[in-house]
Amino acid sequence: MKKLPIVLLSVVLLTAGCRKPQTTTTITSDIPPVTTEGSVATTENVLRDFADVLVNPNYRDLQANALLLQQSVTTLGASRTDANLSAAQNAWRLTRAPWENCEAYLFGPVEDQSYDPTMDTWPLDRTQLDSLLASSNNLTLADIDALPDALKGFHAVEYMLFGLGGQQRADSISARDMAYMTSLTQSIANTTTTLRNSWDTTQPGNYTVAIKKAGAGSTIYTNRKAAIQAIVTAMANICSEVGTGKMEEPLGQNGHADSTLDESSFSHNSTTDFTNNIKGIKNVYFCTYNGVAGHSLHDLVAASNKSLDNQITNAIYDAVGSFNTISSHYEIAIYTQRTQIQAVQAKLATLQTLLEDDLNNWVIQNIHD
Amino acid sequence: MLQKYKSRTALVTASFAVLLLLTMCRKPDAFPSSGYDERLSGGVNTVFDATSHAFSNPYPGLDAAETALHDLGDSKFEATFVTAPAPVNSGLGPLYNNVSCASCHHNDANGEPTAGGPKSALLIRVSMPGQDEHGGPVPVPGFGLQIEDKAPIGKQPEATVDITYNYQTYSFPDGETYELRKPIFTLTNTYTGLPGGYLMSPRVPLPVMGLGMLEAVSENDILANADPDDKDQDGISGRANYVWDPDTKSTRLGRFGWKANVPSILAQVAGALSNDIGITSRLAPIETSYGQPQDDGLKDDPEMPDSVLNAIDFYIHTLSVPARRDVTDPQVVRGKTLFKAATCSRCHLETLSTATDVAFPAISNQRIHPYTDMLLHDMGGSLEDGRPDYLASGAEWRTPPLWGVGLYERVASPAHYMNDGRARTLMEAIMWHGGEAAGAKAYVTRLSKTDRDALIAFLKSL
Repeated sequence: MKKLPIVLLSVVLLTAGCRKPQTTTTITSDIPPVTTEGSVATTENVLRDFADVLVNPNYRDLQANALLLQQSVTTLGASRTDANLSAAQNAWRLTRAPWENCEAYLFGPVEDQSYDPTMDTWPLDRTQLDSLLASSNNLTLADIDALPDALKGFHAVEYMLFGLGGQQRADSISARDMAYMTSLTQSIANTTTTLRNSWDTTQPGNYTVAIKKAGAGSTIYTNRKAAIQAIVTAMANICSEVGTGKMEEPLGQNGHADSTLDESSFSHNSTTDFTNNIKGIKNVYFCTYNGVAGHSLHDLVAASNKSLDNQITNAIYDAVGSFNTISSHYEIAIYTQRTQIQAVQAKLATLQTLLEDDLNNWVIQNIHD
Repeated sequence: MLQKYKSRTALVTASFAVLLLLTMCRKPDAFPSSGYDERLSGGVNTVFDATSHAFSNPYPGLDAAETALHDLGDSKFEATFVTAPAPVNSGLGPLYNNVSCASCHHNDANGEPTAGGPKSALLIRVSMPGQDEHGGPVPVPGFGLQIEDKAPIGKQPEATVDITYNYQTYSFPDGETYELRKPIFTLTNTYTGLPGGYLMSPRVPLPVMGLGMLEAVSENDILANADPDDKDQDGISGRANYVWDPDTKSTRLGRFGWKANVPSILAQVAGALSNDIGITSRLAPIETSYGQPQDDGLKDDPEMPDSVLNAIDFYIHTLSVPARRDVTDPQVVRGKTLFKAATCSRCHLETLSTATDVAFPAISNQRIHPYTDMLLHDMGGSLEDGRPDYLASGAEWRTPPLWGVGLYERVASPAHYMNDGRARTLMEAIMWHGGEAAGAKAYVTRLSKTDRDALIAFLKSL
């Protein structure tokens, strides 16, 4: 097992120190750590470890936490206490974290099968949600699955658990609200299970094979370069989405902030979401997850262009670390901490350029298998 | 000797004069085709991206302001619309087929050939026999020109679209079999009675990349390939459609859509926003539910500001085309030869050129390889929908561009082809061809397995 660099740990500590405390429950991975010490990174083992060390464990955590969320909602349904509500809210945050991490590689089944919009569509259609709750329509899992995406997934659960402005109270949750939430969380758990299985090597037609067999029989990736380009493109895309989409839209131009455009405002979780997206990029570049490390793009780039690797490494740490400067909830910070937000966006822009131009060009020019 | 020199000087002078005259009176001769790289399907607006996001790249040369506009259009193309009133992306429906542009144009390509589900992208156009005042299809009373199969909670969609397939197995002369599935579309659960004699046509989305360049091909260049009466008697006609443009309020050449029934990207965007998502705009200011019980009665039209409509229009105008791959692979080279020999290339024209556009240099004077003539062709009875659309008969369909077709499996998996997504593989798509393309299909049928594979390898290089 490769030792994580010290700087990474200190960044994690800093990040953890400046934000609201969070339970950092991690789900024990059921595969042994990959031993990489002494072996040289190749495109083959980089792709293998991307799947084994990062993607599969990340999706397993997502599914495990989604099941915990479902259980905590069941518990809340049995006894609508503030303590149970708080536990369910925490379970939502804990499910959100691995999901935001794995948004750094939104390709493959998550994209092809639209699992992303199925569980993470924004904005929520509150007009329809209110009519649904006011109606006598059935709210079984099958009914929920048939609903438009804007009435289900993370943000529907977030609205039900946290309420407007995070003001939800256990005693104001009705039986019908509970029925809706129960099916919503079942639906998320099912989607994450399908997503996990779509990469699981025990399942037929799994995507891990498509990645590992790139250039060696994969029907999707006729060479390894194509698979690595897919990974780099996905990293660049999430960087752009956070900097120029999720952060920029509520921030607005020329002081025209609009908190209704903030994605996770019910839970005040937006900045954590953003940070976890960019940590997802870090996970990919260094091929690390839950303290386990594999052969990485970082190894490949460092061996051929140390200067580029240093730039990318610094840009990743700078970007992840910069979120600490946003100390208010994001929907407040867009009015009160615009300078800090813009400074974070500048870091993300630097990282985005490095990923989408420099790293992509490096892949085009240096990977030949 | 001197004399000779003199005459030679005169000759040189004369040829200079001719050259000058030519320069003044005509465009310079085209750069020889051997000087181009055939991978550059979109000319300068080609990107070397074969990932699942290969259709989603902006033109490489956009400046900062253009990039900002492209990005705004991109975010609105992706945006999920919700029921009005809402602070963000308000105005979904009340009648609609899906909630965002991207839900049907997955990764700027196409979506699932199903109806009614969150990922569904197939829709049914309907009309009564006859023509409206502009020569277009006549709306069905109570339903309009499209079945909207979704409505907000508490309201009834216009109908449910049921799709079933008849499967039949065929074989090539060498014994290899293939299966074709023919879809049957039925409208059930209609909110009110459908009048007798209505016509219907199923449509799946087409990819949106490269359309800016197809819009920039001059009308003359498109019409130069038309042969409406088949004067050259090659069995292939090629007819132009002329359709109503809600922007210019005039009849213009149809360029886009399966029936060449849309004159411009802007008209396509406004039409899809209105018919598919239920978002009103300057060009379609009246809800499709108007006069029907599903209408919301809100005075919020147009729901989409012009600035956003224009941004989406610009976004689609500025999506690059992915470069071809493996162009020197001997199998691909062989496949391209067969593509021409089978006469596929008569309608799926390899090369078109964009006109000069001084206002938008990126789009100007590009040699592009869209593999379409943008014209209508009779595709035979198996594909006939029986619903005329302006000048397009029920059997006529516009040649769809093939650029990017080799990436459908990656960009919008699982891939499907043809106007209703009936073909699951490129070979099935070829085998559905008929009418003017019957000869091309017959040629492919007679090919050896090796050559059939080569033809598919060529298509996958696009």
